[in-house]
Amino acid sequence: MADIDFDGVTKVYGDGPPAVDRLSLHIDDGEFMVLVGPSGCGKTTALRMLAGLEEISSGTLRIGGAVVNNTLPKDRDVAMVFQNYALYPHMSVAQNMGFALKIRGESKREIARKVEDAARILRLTEYLERRPKALSGGQRQRVAMGRAIVRSPQAFLMDEPLSNLDAKLRVEMRSEIARIQRLLSVATVYVTHDQVEAMTMGDRVAVLRDGQLQQVATPQDIYDRPANEFVAGFMGSPPMNLVPCQLRPGRSRVEVVVADQSIELPLGYADTHSLPEAGADVVLGVRPEDVLIADATGANVLKVRVERVEALGSEALVHLAWGEGGASSSRDARSRSFIAKVGPRVTFAPGDVVSVQVSPEHIHFFDAGTGISLRAGGR
Amino acid sequence: MVLIAVIMLYPFWVMIGTSLKSEAQFLSGGGFSWLSWKNLTATIPVGQEVLSSTIVCTASILIILAVGLPAGFAFAKLRFRASTVVFLVIVSAMMVPLQAILMPEFVNVTKLGLTGGYLGAIVVYAALGTPFSVFLFATYFRGVPDELIEAGIVDGLGYFGALWRLVVPIAIPAIATVTVLQFIQIWDDLLVGLLFIQNTSERPITVGLAVLAAGRTTSIPELMAGSLVSALPAMVVYLVFQRYLVKGLTMGIDR
Ligand SMILES: Nc1ncnc2c1ncn2[C@@H]1O[C@H](COP(=O)(O)OP(=O)(O)OP(=O)(O)O)[C@@H](O)[C@H]1O
Ligand SMILES: [Mg+2]
Repeated sequence: MADIDFDGVTKVYGDGPPAVDRLSLHIDDGEFMVLVGPSGCGKTTALRMLAGLEEISSGTLRIGGAVVNNTLPKDRDVAMVFQNYALYPHMSVAQNMGFALKIRGESKREIARKVEDAARILRLTEYLERRPKALSGGQRQRVAMGRAIVRSPQAFLMDEPLSNLDAKLRVEMRSEIARIQRLLSVATVYVTHDQVEAMTMGDRVAVLRDGQLQQVATPQDIYDRPANEFVAGFMGSPPMNLVPCQLRPGRSRVEVVVADQSIELPLGYADTHSLPEAGADVVLGVRPEDVLIADATGANVLKVRVERVEALGSEALVHLAWGEGGASSSRDARSRSFIAKVGPRVTFAPGDVVSVQVSPEHIHFFDAGTGISLRAGGR
Repeated sequence: MVLIAVIMLYPFWVMIGTSLKSEAQFLSGGGFSWLSWKNLTATIPVGQEVLSSTIVCTASILIILAVGLPAGFAFAKLRFRASTVVFLVIVSAMMVPLQAILMPEFVNVTKLGLTGGYLGAIVVYAALGTPFSVFLFATYFRGVPDELIEAGIVDGLGYFGALWRLVVPIAIPAIATVTVLQFIQIWDDLLVGLLFIQNTSERPITVGLAVLAAGRTTSIPELMAGSLVSALPAMVVYLVFQRYLVKGLTMGIDR
């Protein structure tokens, strides 16, 4: 077992832009690290460099302290679970799982013992003699896991291992994989673009965009304190509402001007947040569940119109907008609307005008130009 | 199906029937005799010639597979400079007819002093058959998912290990296809054998048969017996590999 260290690792394909751009990321021994980001952001590339399937253009990659930039895959002792499982079709489940041990030259008895142990953990014992073709998707997925765990490798690498499963099985395997990883306590890099997986499985989450690391933190931290607008908009479903607005010095406090309305920030807010100069354009972020729809007509409420209500059973999403209806362009409309997540029993209908309230501690500000969070201490 | 089978098998039936008659019986239309077979073995060294054909065929095919499998794998799965160009050159070599290169090849092989025994013919057959096998294997291997090979490599294999232990086992249909097609082609070929194998004691069966037909005998039953000996092995090879071959020729359809 070992830790993994990306130190300024870059991958450039041909003369295109870097697929992974100066990635610096440390994964502790036994840690479950989730790599997440939109399609094409370089997650797979990062993982493949770690496995040794892709050359590193520049930077240093270490496994267990040793530089592995030029180490062959077979000498890295890492196990990988592929998205389509890549089981060996001409071998039985047991042979699939024992293959790496066989190559390594372990005795038949030793291999059989390890395969049986792994099969027990994965509940595959009764399928050991079957060919992969005769297994269900979930079983194949478990064989792929088994192939990785029998090796007791330095690290597990998994590239969207659950994306080929149906929703129900995915939920099941999600906790299954997390359970096994904790049991074996092997450093794991898990690639996904599913934010539920990112939130629930990892010890920490690393968010990538265009090959660049945006933020590494615990799932809750990523959710509560996104480092920039991109992370804020990427994690969470529905994503954080991001509304362009202006800051204006009020009578005694800073005022936030949204369209033709404004709310005041509490005294001392500016001390804990590195707010830009008054008059600056910023982006206000607030999670849908932090938007309260209130009857209150008191201070610090925004008057908005209900556009649409989506009932999801256990909760409802209320689409809200301000200003006169019929926004001139859809882009305009998007910046004038936002979503509130509320309880399932909604008493208002489209067209109603309601008041919304957001408590100041749930407000995020991002620089309108760079998108970087304006929270004191930054990330 | 039955009709087709009958049409296909009828010539064989006639050949077998005819070869089991003496010349006189053949002309009169009835009777049964091993005479033609006896004469055949007396006129030409059938056993020796079949053995020669087998040696040449087997050795050529082994070379074709030994070169074609890794080359096809490299073209299908490894990224290297100018691979497309090299591949196209090899594939276009497939289009060159045997007759066009036979004489230059003969000169080359003669210069190397290989025209006496099996070796020259083996080299020529292998050279002629390899481009096709590279093409077929490369095409087949392109259908093998990259992840399968990568899984093997992460599990500890090198490229040759991955080829031998992962790719070859699932390429049996392609290997069978190459083997059968090359076997039939090489076994039935006369020209190369005639030119390149000049030692009479190492003559393949097709050359023997040609010699037979060229004047050693005029007996139709005896010629039929000879033809049977010559045709049968290709049939047997086909039947043995047929099970895999069908898959090979329809590959890509049911995937
Ligand atoms: N073999 C390659 N040759 C050239 N460019 C490549 C190659 N592999 C990936 N890329 C490019 O590198 C970038 C990152 O790709 P990568 O596969 O790592 O993305 P990803 O984050 O895994 O995306 P996804 O979620 O869709 O799997 C993409 O822009 C992709 O087009
Ligand atoms: Mg990917």
